[in-house]
Amino acid sequence: MTISSEQPVGVSVPEAPEPPQFVDPKPAESGWFSQHIGTAIICGFLGYILGHWLGNVIGSNYANIANSGQNSISAFMALLFMVIGWLLGIGALNYPIAKIFGREAKGEVEFTGWTRYLRYNLDHKVVGIQYVVGVLVFFFTGGLLAMAIRTELLNPTVHVFAADTYIKIVSEHGTIMMMMASSVVVGPLGNYFVPLMIGARRMAFPRIEAFSLWTFVAGYFVIFSALFFGGFPTGWTGYAPLQTQAGPGMISYLFGFAVISVGMMTAGFNLAVTIINYRAPGMTWSRVPVFVWSIIATAALLTLASPVLFAAGTFGILDHTAETAFYVTEHGGSSYLWENLFWFFGHPEVYIMALPGFGIVGEIIPVFCRKPLFAYRIAAAGMIGVALLSFFVWQHHLFQSGIDPDMRPLFMLTTELISIPTGFIFLVGMGTLYKAKIRYEVPMLFCMAVYFNFLIGGVSGVFLSDVPVNVTVHGGFFVLSHFHYTIMGGLIFAFFAGLYFWLPKMTGRKMNKKMGLWHFWTMFIFFNLTFFPMFIIGLLGQPRRVFTYAKNLQTLNDFSSIAAFCLGASFLIFVANLMWSQFISPEKSPSNPWDSLGLEWQTATPIPHYNFERIPVIMTDPYHYSEANAPALADFGKGPPVHAGSTTASSTDPDQ
Amino acid sequence: MTDLARDAQGMSDTPEEREFELRAQIGAIWSGGRLFIGMYTFLLASLAFSYFYLRSSNNGLLWRPNHITAPTAYGWTIYSLTLLAALMAIFGQSRLRRGQVAEWQTAIWVGVVASLLALFLQIWEFTAVPFFPGSSGYASTFIGYSVINIMTIFIVLYWMETTVARSHRMPKEMEEINCHLTNHPVAQAFRANVASMTYFLGFVALSSTLLFAMFYLL
Repeated sequence: MTISSEQPVGVSVPEAPEPPQFVDPKPAESGWFSQHIGTAIICGFLGYILGHWLGNVIGSNYANIANSGQNSISAFMALLFMVIGWLLGIGALNYPIAKIFGREAKGEVEFTGWTRYLRYNLDHKVVGIQYVVGVLVFFFTGGLLAMAIRTELLNPTVHVFAADTYIKIVSEHGTIMMMMASSVVVGPLGNYFVPLMIGARRMAFPRIEAFSLWTFVAGYFVIFSALFFGGFPTGWTGYAPLQTQAGPGMISYLFGFAVISVGMMTAGFNLAVTIINYRAPGMTWSRVPVFVWSIIATAALLTLASPVLFAAGTFGILDHTAETAFYVTEHGGSSYLWENLFWFFGHPEVYIMALPGFGIVGEIIPVFCRKPLFAYRIAAAGMIGVALLSFFVWQHHLFQSGIDPDMRPLFMLTTELISIPTGFIFLVGMGTLYKAKIRYEVPMLFCMAVYFNFLIGGVSGVFLSDVPVNVTVHGGFFVLSHFHYTIMGGLIFAFFAGLYFWLPKMTGRKMNKKMGLWHFWTMFIFFNLTFFPMFIIGLLGQPRRVFTYAKNLQTLNDFSSIAAFCLGASFLIFVANLMWSQFISPEKSPSNPWDSLGLEWQTATPIPHYNFERIPVIMTDPYHYSEANAPALADFGKGPPVHAGSTTASSTDPDQ
Repeated sequence: MTDLARDAQGMSDTPEEREFELRAQIGAIWSGGRLFIGMYTFLLASLAFSYFYLRSSNNGLLWRPNHITAPTAYGWTIYSLTLLAALMAIFGQSRLRRGQVAEWQTAIWVGVVASLLALFLQIWEFTAVPFFPGSSGYASTFIGYSVINIMTIFIVLYWMETTVARSHRMPKEMEEINCHLTNHPVAQAFRANVASMTYFLGFVALSSTLLFAMFYLL
């Protein structure tokens, strides 16, 4: 096998240099006394106490804080030290500290068994599964809060929660869900499958990858801590001046977003660098799987948009702790500054959530249609187009506030423009489905649901970009329904499509099909029954984030609430399926159960530590389904090349 | 680097694969350094946006009452020290390319000391600002700038210190005194790291100049 790749600028490469011989001064230790999630919790707890005490010491020197009964400094310091303690405890800071002394990482013990999932692990496959658990915990926490919201909305006059408690639940729900959604695909499936799909044996920066995961988990604790600080009343958008008037719970929101943004930046950074540099020989840009295209577009957004969120959060924290006035109009600041910074991140964030969903669907449908992906290059161009345009639309969130009315048409136009590349991606899917003999397996059903839901979400989005409509329905349930259709109907359905599709490869065990079908149909039906009535509720004038409403809307609200409870129950079917299929009654999955041509399916199951026995040489893209004279897919350096045109790809897996 | 060694020892079996992994690793350091600059640009752009947004809004005529300014002596000193660190990195790299490892190390240590001093002064400046943080738009953005500048200088300090510390330890680990300039994979990755660091410091010099002008001269 001959491997060739372009030489990086300014770097000369020796001919097959001998590997260096390092002497590990002190090997890492395994067992209870090594670093794992338990030590992270202990160190995080100790950090919290230390930070709280330190914050009280600092705060007690200021009369206005000492007499206020609210010390944002101690709240912030507690959370800051908690995160530092958490990272120290899990072992994320071992390497950065060792570097100060010029040391490279000491020899790492290869942890095996289930305990590796509780540690700072550098294997992208372990990190991917850790992310799956992490996002599901995020998702179910946010989901429980959603159930609380729908319970409150069962009756406009009989209340379960007080008005301020309700808005805090809504805020916590929104923030947790948005944080989860920003990583729900990139974290678990991006980290797990991008190296496999590009023929790489590893990530470019495995420590940065693991760091992003454990920062993401720390962000969960920080945002969850808001409930113990009295919550925050701003919704997930955190608008000033309510933000500057809120208590210490707001610190959890601001610092939580800052922490999560660090996790997002590092995750995007690592993925982008990996895709650019670690593509296997022959994996030209025109052969990169469409899921990888979606991930690199998302990674670009993560690395460039998240710093703005970090800055916005930092300024908010300074307003609360150092008493600056970034967002205080009366003192020379501006509440609109927050809105601008927040939405400059926030709108790309929408595509951070949407693009990986499109990528999953684009990857899955050719497998079940047994057809090449229609207009592959258009799909890739559409994703890049969406990513670029997403930086130029944020002002449409300010149509009602802080924007010169003369500027509205411009941002209306840019927002409508973004529907063009989005439409490209949609049409690529339709073109692939056209005249296909579709196999309706569970992942494919979820993909079909994405198209159905996203069509409703997307078309209502085009309405909302129009200034007159926006002015009319702004702040109501119509908007709420629109973004649930795009984010939950698009991204979350795509996430489950991805899970059902790839879990057999990740775990080597099949998911139960019957339970999968029950999960799909209940989730699809009750999702639509929950959120479609909200369009009507919104058009009839019910505002968001208010715990009471007009009596004549109760029937629709009750209908929506009952459907929401059933929707919540549908996720229990998924959990039951996961438990049953993976732990209680596991059934071994074939190496390539869907007959996919994707590179990730061509390696053995369970996937070897270094992914591929030999670095493959890629010969074509992985979408030549049902083509009689299709070229060979790749040379794996062992046995005959895998042919793309075959309906069943041969595998290097000895089991198959 | 140890990843590289681990790759070389465990993952890459054939010479071609080893070479491929090395190229990818060095490419990752190269492109990672550039991407980090892109990321940092957006962070600093957020600060600059805040500055100009509040300046043009001038809410309640409280952008900058009486044209109050942060202590310029501190500002000049911090800026000069940051610039010195960047110049040392650029000068050092030119010496390293000519094979003068000791001169590169000296230059980087000077840069480390300069950035350490800059970091100390940037923190100490909080005690000397002649305004309350929330007294005006300018005061607020200045505090924000100070916090971000502390972070920037800390990154500069950490990157320079870890690189020069690595250069001292490398000969011991590789049992070769003049290992820095060889074609050994570790040495090549080291030089790629130096190049990325120098590139970032060039960016820091440029951005520091712009931010210094905004907060102390305009």
